[in-house]
Amino acid sequence: MADFEAREPESKVEIASEKGGAEGIKTFDVTVQIRRYNPELSEEAHWDEFKVQMYGTDRVLDILHKVKWEIDGSLSFRRSCAHGVCGSDAMRINGRNRLACKTLLKDLDLSKPITIEPIKGLPCEKDLIVDMEPFFQAYREIMPFLVNDGHEPERERYQSVEDRERFDDTTKCILCAACTSSCPVFWTDGQYFGPAAIVNAHRFIFDSRDDAGDMRLEILNDKEGVWRCRTTFNCTEACPRGIQITKAIAEVKQAIVARAF
Amino acid sequence: MATPLKAKVSVPRSKDTTVNGVKYNRSSSKRNNSEMYAWLFMRFSGVLLVVLIFGHLFVNLMQPGGVHAIDFGFVGGKLANPFWQVWDLLLLWLAMLHGTNGIRTIIMDYAEKDRTRVTLKTILYLASAFILLVGTLVIFTFDPCPPNADPSLLASFCPAP
Amino acid sequence: MQVHKYDVVIIGAGGAGMRAAIEAGQRARTAVISKLYPTRSHTGAAQGGMCAALANVEEDNWEWHTFDTIKGGDYLVDQDAAEVMAKEAIDAVLDLERMGLPFNRTPEGRIDQRRFGGHTRDHGKAPVRRACYAADRTGHMILQTLYQNCVKHNVEFFNEYYVLDLVMVEDENGVRRPAGVVTYDLATGDVHVFQAKSVIFASGGCGKIFKTTSNAHTLTGDGMAIALRNGIPLEDMEFVQFHPTGLAGLGILVSEAARGEGGILRNSEGERFMERYAPTIKDLAPRDIVARSMANEVREGRGCGPNKDYVLLDLTHLEPAHIDAKLPDITEFARTYLGVEPYTEPVPVFPTAHYAMGGIPTNIKAEVYANSEETIPGLYAAGEVACVSVHGSNRLGTNSLLDINVFGKRAGIFASEYAATADFLPIPDDAADATVAALNKLLDGQGTEKVGEIRKELQEVMDADMQVFRTEETIRNAIATIEKLEARYENISVQDKGKRFNLDLLEAMELGFLLQLAKVMSVAALHRQESRGGHFREDFPNRDDENFMKHSMVYMDAESEFEGISGMRFDTKPVVFTRYEPMERKY
Repeated sequence: MADFEAREPESKVEIASEKGGAEGIKTFDVTVQIRRYNPELSEEAHWDEFKVQMYGTDRVLDILHKVKWEIDGSLSFRRSCAHGVCGSDAMRINGRNRLACKTLLKDLDLSKPITIEPIKGLPCEKDLIVDMEPFFQAYREIMPFLVNDGHEPERERYQSVEDRERFDDTTKCILCAACTSSCPVFWTDGQYFGPAAIVNAHRFIFDSRDDAGDMRLEILNDKEGVWRCRTTFNCTEACPRGIQITKAIAEVKQAIVARAF
Repeated sequence: MATPLKAKVSVPRSKDTTVNGVKYNRSSSKRNNSEMYAWLFMRFSGVLLVVLIFGHLFVNLMQPGGVHAIDFGFVGGKLANPFWQVWDLLLLWLAMLHGTNGIRTIIMDYAEKDRTRVTLKTILYLASAFILLVGTLVIFTFDPCPPNADPSLLASFCPAP
Repeated sequence: MQVHKYDVVIIGAGGAGMRAAIEAGQRARTAVISKLYPTRSHTGAAQGGMCAALANVEEDNWEWHTFDTIKGGDYLVDQDAAEVMAKEAIDAVLDLERMGLPFNRTPEGRIDQRRFGGHTRDHGKAPVRRACYAADRTGHMILQTLYQNCVKHNVEFFNEYYVLDLVMVEDENGVRRPAGVVTYDLATGDVHVFQAKSVIFASGGCGKIFKTTSNAHTLTGDGMAIALRNGIPLEDMEFVQFHPTGLAGLGILVSEAARGEGGILRNSEGERFMERYAPTIKDLAPRDIVARSMANEVREGRGCGPNKDYVLLDLTHLEPAHIDAKLPDITEFARTYLGVEPYTEPVPVFPTAHYAMGGIPTNIKAEVYANSEETIPGLYAAGEVACVSVHGSNRLGTNSLLDINVFGKRAGIFASEYAATADFLPIPDDAADATVAALNKLLDGQGTEKVGEIRKELQEVMDADMQVFRTEETIRNAIATIEKLEARYENISVQDKGKRFNLDLLEAMELGFLLQLAKVMSVAALHRQESRGGHFREDFPNRDDENFMKHSMVYMDAESEFEGISGMRFDTKPVVFTRYEPMERKY
């Protein structure tokens, strides 16, 4: 790190041609098809189509907001931070699990209507809102918390930079359920723990400060545990945080095998 | 990882959640290593099967005359050799178990109802067991020149009665 | 109407709420009520770090931290509170580490620390490494760790329950105390009442008053407005922090850590303009100063871009590997949302509404004040919703993550201790009537006004008139607009008439909170005829300690009037001094 401080940045530099930001924002028409479901009105789900004018920098979440705020207030979806860190707005956009706030219109094929559906495998409650309880249940079952029975140090526990790096990837998880609900195995009967639970187990199993790795491996050695992973990589592809989920699951499998022999 | 369990932590158990007839909590906490062994078996048998199958193909096809040279006599000759008996027996068992386990996982992944699952699995296991039994029987009891057979039906290499 | 009974009810499941829950949950029967799933809370968006004088990488002590906090807040900080926070910061960080938070480490394996704006060694001599961090997702890690520990301790959560009212009743001694809260279950549309011995507000800020904001859509100041409606004053509401580096046009936060790690700001001439505004610590000056300097550059025509309306955050002199290791998320934001590659191009940034320094007034035990002197037994507040006041007129970077941990913990402990000695107060039969009536009015309303339009106009006027630079004229204009919007709000209707997940209805309720808070904020800003910290009056550009070294307290009171604005009562509260005399604030 020291070498960075040695170089005090220049007081003044030439700024290259203007880049990024607000340059020439174009407007265009977008057609969206949104899967609607409201059991108060009908047991049947249906598709609604909306045509809205959007800007080049807009995201799918902006479309949903525009529809909700200007056309149909009854459209229901979850959202909060709107920049991909809270994990509220995972949905199926053009058949792929994405966060609506992280999917830019310029990255989609706008010549066809954009389709938006709730994530699969969890029971739909209304429009794009699903019941997240089963998802969090699986999360709770893998004991997602540090267990350390040793004596409490007066200061922090020490951990080397390498040991900290070992589980860095899986600490990024925001529990949006994009991975679990993209997994064909989970779609069948919801019994599989699912990628998200395994990712969060991985975060503790490979944390050098934790003592309950064995218990978590035991939990995931279940008939519905890691062995149901078919390495389809759907989860890795769906993860908005870029976590190498399938790799993490493979590492947990290896740890279970290593423990048995 | 192999450290003995020191921590005694009560695992937060989940409530029973049933939504639209789908039960979301895991049915039992019966945990053993069977799925791990199944998973490991698939990997090892897969590797072994590649060797066995290519060895089988090589011996069968790379002989003078290629595929056209395979006839009753050729097969009969091979099955008379204990080496090939073992080879074919391994091939049979590994392929059948590997395939059966593969189909079992497919049933697990795609059959949504417990009853469908049980039915399909029963059929699968019965069929597999039958094929394994018949196959094994053939490998060990095959005699290309059965005694007391009609000589006109016997292969040319059979000793004259 | 369903009634639930808990010793302690915590409103909000962000950092402060869950930190309180971990304490209260082990001492008393505790329920956490949140309008979101806990891991969706906006604590998770905090990036840079959490300061504590651990002195892991260089000499430091908590007294310097106290001084920086007080000076950063332009001396409007209650100094007893700042001392408590800086002192308990060390334990707060160590607590989190023991709970499992994966901090970045030094080569020796200790918690690593980095520089942050306004944090200095020996009373302003040079920047100091004080911020403990986990890459640029410290908030994410704190939120996850706290939730994990709530799971560990089996804390009871009521997710997607909106708290819409507080039930205040007089006890046998004639003291007004909280008896519980009225909530709305989003999934079913049912109203539930939670009876409680003590209630903790930890519901977060109100950034959605502004259009350009780093805040989540759900940060609508519900807790503050509910307190206000129940006769509790709001303190120092004129002070809003505008974070210097929001992605231009979007407001998405780019952490101060970007500058802590060596990033600098440049104007259209390529000049490192902070050298002129804060010669000693330059780009690491406190946020109010940097934000104002940026706005000034743009105002004087040195902005970048086709509309000359932003400046540039330059990271190009840093090694890409260093950026990847320390700032992975924010560089990804720049790539995703602006299409800018931070390795090679400077990132367009502009100030974005970030944090409300003001809120529900509390003392250092997190007890809520009923007025300038007395506290309300059994009512607590912690986090952004509260005003302790440790941030004064301008919060230093990282001190919010500290605030939620220190005062969240205190709130949890004191609330459960109080609950152990107190009795339940009876819930009046009509406790939920006002809430139900308000909901029904919106549901049955045949009005023509739409939530989205009124909110948009509110946010636009607040951005235009109540942002970094304010004058009496702009503030009066904002108030006039808010009053017009309030009248239009009466004529509002929601399209969704159902009971399941009726977010349309809740957005309308939230708009009501926003309008009220915007007005309080404007009234307080009108009163403060000086410039201090985050509040800059162009018509009064200097700090005026003689007349304004005191906290503002705004009450909602139908019979009162303040400066021609009806429905508001104004008062002040003295600032607590311990050992630091106000000085000129220079960096």
